[in-house]
Amino acid sequence: MSPLALKIYRELATKPQQFAEIADAHRAVAWRDFLRAWGEIREKNVLQRGDDGEYLIPKARKKPAKR
Amino acid sequence: MKKSFRDFLSELEDAGELARVKKPVDLRDVSALLSQSSRALICENLKEYPGWQLAGALVSSRKRLALAMGCPENDVALRFEKGLERLIEPVMVKDAPCQEVVLKGKDVDLTAIPYPLMHVFDGGPYLSATLVVSKDPEFGRNLGSYRLMYRTPTETGIDLVSPSDMRLYYQRRLDQGKPLEIAVAIGVHPFEMLAASYKAPINMDEYAVAGGLHGEPVPLVKCKTVDLEVPADAELVLEGELLPMGWTADEGPFGEFSQISGDVKWNPIFRVKCITHRRNPIFYLLQMPWENDWLAAPVTEAAGLRALRNASVQPVAIRAPVGSCGYWTLIASIRKRPGEGKNALLALLSVAEVKLAIVTDEDINIHDPDDVDWALTFRVQADRDLIVVHDARGKHIDPSIKAWELGKGGLPTTAKLGIDATIPEGVPKKFYKRIEYYGRNRVKLKDYL
Repeated sequence: MSPLALKIYRELATKPQQFAEIADAHRAVAWRDFLRAWGEIREKNVLQRGDDGEYLIPKARKKPAKR
Repeated sequence: MKKSFRDFLSELEDAGELARVKKPVDLRDVSALLSQSSRALICENLKEYPGWQLAGALVSSRKRLALAMGCPENDVALRFEKGLERLIEPVMVKDAPCQEVVLKGKDVDLTAIPYPLMHVFDGGPYLSATLVVSKDPEFGRNLGSYRLMYRTPTETGIDLVSPSDMRLYYQRRLDQGKPLEIAVAIGVHPFEMLAASYKAPINMDEYAVAGGLHGEPVPLVKCKTVDLEVPADAELVLEGELLPMGWTADEGPFGEFSQISGDVKWNPIFRVKCITHRRNPIFYLLQMPWENDWLAAPVTEAAGLRALRNASVQPVAIRAPVGSCGYWTLIASIRKRPGEGKNALLALLSVAEVKLAIVTDEDINIHDPDDVDWALTFRVQADRDLIVVHDARGKHIDPSIKAWELGKGGLPTTAKLGIDATIPEGVPKKFYKRIEYYGRNRVKLKDYL
């Protein structure tokens, strides 16, 4: 995973968030870079959804290796 | 040559209904800008997307819808109905502006197109202005409009929960364990979008409906990697397939055309194999819910007119209010014979997922909500003039039907209400004589100001 994807992954493992909240937290990053990082996380099939649509990663999962 | 998306933008600009933003705009700010504009917008300078422009909020009012359709605001249903009466088959062309740039294989990258985040509770960035083409060997070609949620540079989610012809096509391929090829055109004229919204009989080609609306054939081009055809003058096209996985991937929420943030749904995945576009494309962000609702209204209204005529009731005017998202409510005035108030209600309630129908006499201006309220107040007795239909086909995004209790892929039902606000049989019309101001035709205020 890229450093940005890994950062987002860790944030979601810590706290469930709406997509817009994650995007807001990374406003300094170019939108295209953010979308690529999001795609990396999607490809890992680790994302789950909360009752209100928030994204979360269950803590029991093993952390992905840095690329 | 039929009108294109760009022709419509020019018409909006000529009518003073479109503004141009020349300053650099971050794609993450576009939705907020559109939501504050009374006019349609074109963002000419998109950060990170050189060569692209973005247009949005194009038909966010009945006025702009009427501009697109080339008719008075209250005649959009009649205009749509006229188009349906003279279907014109599309024509094939070999060279198409939408294929000036072709990206296949490793060059397919959805992050390279301006994929916008639109609403606070959306599950991701969405493509909203889609014309989705699919084909079935038995039923033929189909057009629809389906939202696409960004997942990865080559995959999107697609909302295929509601009953539709494409859902049927997909189910038939899924039963064989095979994917369904689709093509997605973005940046097409509103007539193509209206045709896609129209619930045509399954063997009717919606491109012929669009041709009827234009009054001339829609030029189509063969896709590069799938056996499908798209409007040659589109701005952007995605080609690929719906994976044979069923309704198993999370998708949504999305700011729905019901004006509600919606919920997470379970849906298939669209894998993109090829992207084609114009050399300097204009991306179209269809602003939810307003553009969707205004585009839905003439389709619902035309279906209502047709249902009334099939029931041998003579309609005078019809309206699908934007408060019902142009979809769930139909209000019609009719030239009534005894009993036809109820006949009209039965006809209107047969239209798609319309759940409230109101019928008035022809003296009521149904485009004036106060006049409709007046008819409801003085021409309706609740124990006599209401019809309730139980367990008709419903739509998931109506929270009152509790669709979340259905499970993955389940289809909801709804109750429907009809209100006969025509003058009751046996009540003389003289009791409804309106106040008229003495001397109104003789005395003119302007002569005194």
